[in-house]
Amino acid sequence: MKKQYYLFFIASLLFVLTGCYDRIELEQQAYVIAIGIDLTDKEEEKGVFKFTYQIANPEVGTTASGGGADEPARETVTLKGSDLMSATTTANAFVSKELKLDHTKVIVISEEFARTGEFLRVLQTAGRTTQLRGGVQILVSKENAKDFLNNNKPIMEKRPHKYYQLMLNRATEVGIIPDANIHRFFQITEGDADLYLAPYATTEIEEPKEYEGEENFIAGNVPQEGGSQSQFMGSAVFKEGQMIDILNGAETRVAATLDNTVELTSVFSTYQDPIKPEYQIAGSFIKKQNTSVEIDYKKNGTTTIDVKVPFQMEIFAIPSLVNYSQNMKNQDLLKKSIEEQLTSFAEDLIKKSQEEYGSDPFYWSLYVRDHFKTIKEYEDADWNKKIFPNADINITYELERLEFGKMINDTNLNEVRD
Amino acid sequence: MKKTRLKGREIIAIVLLIIGFKLADTTPAQYAQEGKNAFWLMPIVSLLVMLPSFLLLMYLLKKYKDKNLIQLIFSILGKKVGVFMGFIIFLLSYLLLILSARNYTNQITMLYFPESPTTVIMFLFLTVIFFGAKRGLQAIGTATYITLPYLKLSILVLAAAIIPKVVWLRIFPIFGDGLGTILLEGAKRGSIFFDLFILTIAYTAITSNKSFAKGIYFGGAIAFMEIIFFFLLYTTLFDYKSIDKIAFPFHDVTQYVNFGEFFTNVETFFMVFWLGAAFLRFVILIYFGSWLLGETLQLDEFEPLIFPLTLFVFPFSMIVENTITNELIFRNYLLSITTPVLIIFPIILWIVAKSKGALTK
Repeated sequence: MKKQYYLFFIASLLFVLTGCYDRIELEQQAYVIAIGIDLTDKEEEKGVFKFTYQIANPEVGTTASGGGADEPARETVTLKGSDLMSATTTANAFVSKELKLDHTKVIVISEEFARTGEFLRVLQTAGRTTQLRGGVQILVSKENAKDFLNNNKPIMEKRPHKYYQLMLNRATEVGIIPDANIHRFFQITEGDADLYLAPYATTEIEEPKEYEGEENFIAGNVPQEGGSQSQFMGSAVFKEGQMIDILNGAETRVAATLDNTVELTSVFSTYQDPIKPEYQIAGSFIKKQNTSVEIDYKKNGTTTIDVKVPFQMEIFAIPSLVNYSQNMKNQDLLKKSIEEQLTSFAEDLIKKSQEEYGSDPFYWSLYVRDHFKTIKEYEDADWNKKIFPNADINITYELERLEFGKMINDTNLNEVRD
Repeated sequence: MKKTRLKGREIIAIVLLIIGFKLADTTPAQYAQEGKNAFWLMPIVSLLVMLPSFLLLMYLLKKYKDKNLIQLIFSILGKKVGVFMGFIIFLLSYLLLILSARNYTNQITMLYFPESPTTVIMFLFLTVIFFGAKRGLQAIGTATYITLPYLKLSILVLAAAIIPKVVWLRIFPIFGDGLGTILLEGAKRGSIFFDLFILTIAYTAITSNKSFAKGIYFGGAIAFMEIIFFFLLYTTLFDYKSIDKIAFPFHDVTQYVNFGEFFTNVETFFMVFWLGAAFLRFVILIYFGSWLLGETLQLDEFEPLIFPLTLFVFPFSMIVENTITNELIFRNYLLSITTPVLIIFPIILWIVAKSKGALTK
């Protein structure tokens, strides 16, 4: 009797444990790696957007590429829709599998669309469903997002998810584009005090600008020969969810050094040689300590903000061949010159953000918060309308350590030519 | 009288599980509705509000020896009032259980099984809970004690993964919507420590009274710190404007973190432990709920009650339309009416006992 009871129980489990409802086979899913959002061509279509989905082919680049070896690595489809989630289902009219956004790495929005300020509305969908994660990167493209995704044909990294991951990570690490995910977008936009920076990219390469230093470019005018057609450089500035301007690579870098909430490992950059100004000195800017931001808030009167950026520098190229490593006098000169160059650069950016933008891209509103006890007091004080634009900002870069790589001295050119 | 006896360490484990795991359900979202970025301060207020009453209750239990919560109420207030009071305590705990059960199943469906009907998930959930609760106190205690380290380890891993992403300065403005709001709303939600009161039903089922007290204080203190710490992490990860928009902070966080570049989309790893904890939590709550009712009705055996009580969760929890109303209206309301009950009843007991002169012995 007891045996029969157990048998019955185990048999009934068969019905329960199969889990039919949410079973989905791997081959029934299509993983969207990149999403593009554009405005439609027609003016009257308000609330309708153009969505582009770039779907990865998981078989490419794996060792188990038996049957589908000559299939392309990606499929890119574009359609109209009112929001992100319903467009994914409409896409099934011509995509055979269920589109999944779980593995999406990047959302590309066109500059045109970003400037309308509608982006926040579309992105809200991300929060309600579990598919789109907070870690998805936002990218602003100069051309239509659709064209960007179609033209984006990496040469070395064929698998799209790896491509975006590597491309964005590396460019962020060297500081020429900001680290910008959805999570940060919402925190800053909803916080309504600071500016949000998103990477700026393009596949349309213009006539290259005159060479003006390694990083005074924005995407599209970096002189390049060969390689992939897409360029990631500079950042789009968002105020209250609407794009208002573009910062170039160098400005983006400076903004990153002033912001403690973004990770910055080492930033390669060039500085003018103080002794032979026609040459540039290349070094890597290393941020080991946090930038100190001290705000002396005055309710009626000018608030002063003292910013100190302690940093280290490792010099790796002195094309002028001046002896900086052993000559202490020269070294002091170099130190001072680097500090001054960085400071004046930052001052320019701060001035621009105070006067043009009326807010800061450095997330400095954080430092004024401890002057207030409640949210209401803080909001009434109004960081981006009253405090920041009128503040008196003193900024200093402090070079704490200067390293010269693994060479003690450069070749003496005069001796060589002798 | 049950013969099984729990050890102090098992009581610690149970407290850590049922109180500590509130950080992973909708409790933080509920607090954040009122407290904004200062919501991590609110549990401190909640604790301070509840602590005197709880200590009073523990003192009475110690004085009366060998009596559990309901027996204590009976011997102080007499049979008629005792039944009434015991029934109120049972009813509150059972209603809260029903609402949280709906909550948990909704989370499971919404986040992991979007196609499955809530009813099916609820049915499976309750089936597991019923079989778990049926195993009895000893099994529950041991199971909790054995699995707890792994459950807590997963939480620790999660904390380690979030810490690099938080911005500590987001705790300012320190009082959020104002000190008044925090004090008032924090005090209203004192009932998050309700489970500690319920646990005193097991007062006589522990090897010694001393180890019960030790277990409950020690476990409570750790769970409390855990909650504060995690609330602090939520506040600093999300800013004050965003924190009150998130219904399931724990799951949002697990979706956001990844282990390096290779291990992305790791939320299922945490989900397994979270689900384990949820099962154990409800097993414990159903078991203790049945015990409360059994004692109140003065039954010799209360374990037959487990089945009907589990069964009734099913229809009642399905009444509410969606999670948001469930959480923000019903559960919120219930929590705020439970708080005064919990504060007052030990005081009534104490006053009556004192006037009877029972405490001077």
